[in-house]
Amino acid sequence: MGAQLIAYYDKVSREFGIKGRMKLALLTSVTSITAPEEDDSPANIQKFEQAMAQIKKTGVT
Amino acid sequence: MKISTKLSLFYVAVILVFCVLGVALTTVLHSVSSGYDALLNSPVRQIDEARVIQVDFKKQVQEWKDILLRGQNPVDLANYTKQFHDMEANVSDGAMTLDTHVRDAEAKQLLEQFLAADDELNQKYQTAYEAYVAGNADFKTADKIVRGQDRAPTDLFDKVVLRLNTVVEESVKTQTKASSDGLKLALGIAGGLLLLVGVAGVFVIWDIVNRLARLKAVSDRLAVADISGLSIDISGQDEIAMFARSMKGVLAAIEELVQASSEETMVKS
Repeated sequence: MGAQLIAYYDKVSREFGIKGRMKLALLTSVTSITAPEEDDSPANIQKFEQAMAQIKKTGVT
Repeated sequence: MKISTKLSLFYVAVILVFCVLGVALTTVLHSVSSGYDALLNSPVRQIDEARVIQVDFKKQVQEWKDILLRGQNPVDLANYTKQFHDMEANVSDGAMTLDTHVRDAEAKQLLEQFLAADDELNQKYQTAYEAYVAGNADFKTADKIVRGQDRAPTDLFDKVVLRLNTVVEESVKTQTKASSDGLKLALGIAGGLLLLVGVAGVFVIWDIVNRLARLKAVSDRLAVADISGLSIDISGQDEIAMFARSMKGVLAAIEELVQASSEETMVKS
């Protein structure tokens, strides 16, 4: 279960809105719908962490 | 593996195949050349030596006839006798030298028989010559001693030449077969490698085209916004797989946008 991945979506949604969600999906290839089906594996966590870092660094515009 | 790496490897493999073919053909050529050099340096040269001896032996017999026919003149007798002994020495020395060069057992045996027969004939010639001189150019007595005696050595030496010819023909046949076998082997190896590279090339091209076609199908659906149930399942590490991963991200972003829009619509309603 991707509880941690869902948490990333909640966080990006709060901080950056729809554009943030879109960019997170773009960078991870995992949507908020499919996130619960994914595992909270180290590889997935690392992918989401890197995506979040990039979004924070470059913004969503 | 990246497509560029695959194409580079394919190119290198083709170059390698042609290098292998070149090396193999050069080896075959070198082998054929060495074989014919060896053939020219021994059996063919031995035939040449044998033919010279054959001619010298015929000349020796001719000189003997000249002695008998014209030996009543002391000057002619001395002249023909010298020429006879010269030819006799040429035949004996030539046959002994040839005997040291010949490696074929049958030819060697025939040559040794000839040397023995020639030696015996020379002794008879000497006896006949002495009878001829003692009898004041009595050619009938002298001729009686050696009449028909040169036939056996002549036949033996003809057999030596025939045997050496056979040796050369067999060597040529062996060389021809060896070069033909070498050529077949070289072409077989190169053909096999080329076939292998060709099959691998066809497989690589088929794989690239097949995955590009699947990617195009995804792209066509994205172009008409038909993302329902759309998935991109293209694995690998090459440029196509990297492009597929990018498209997967784009598809996820579109899906996320659709989801966000529907959530917003639900909140508003």
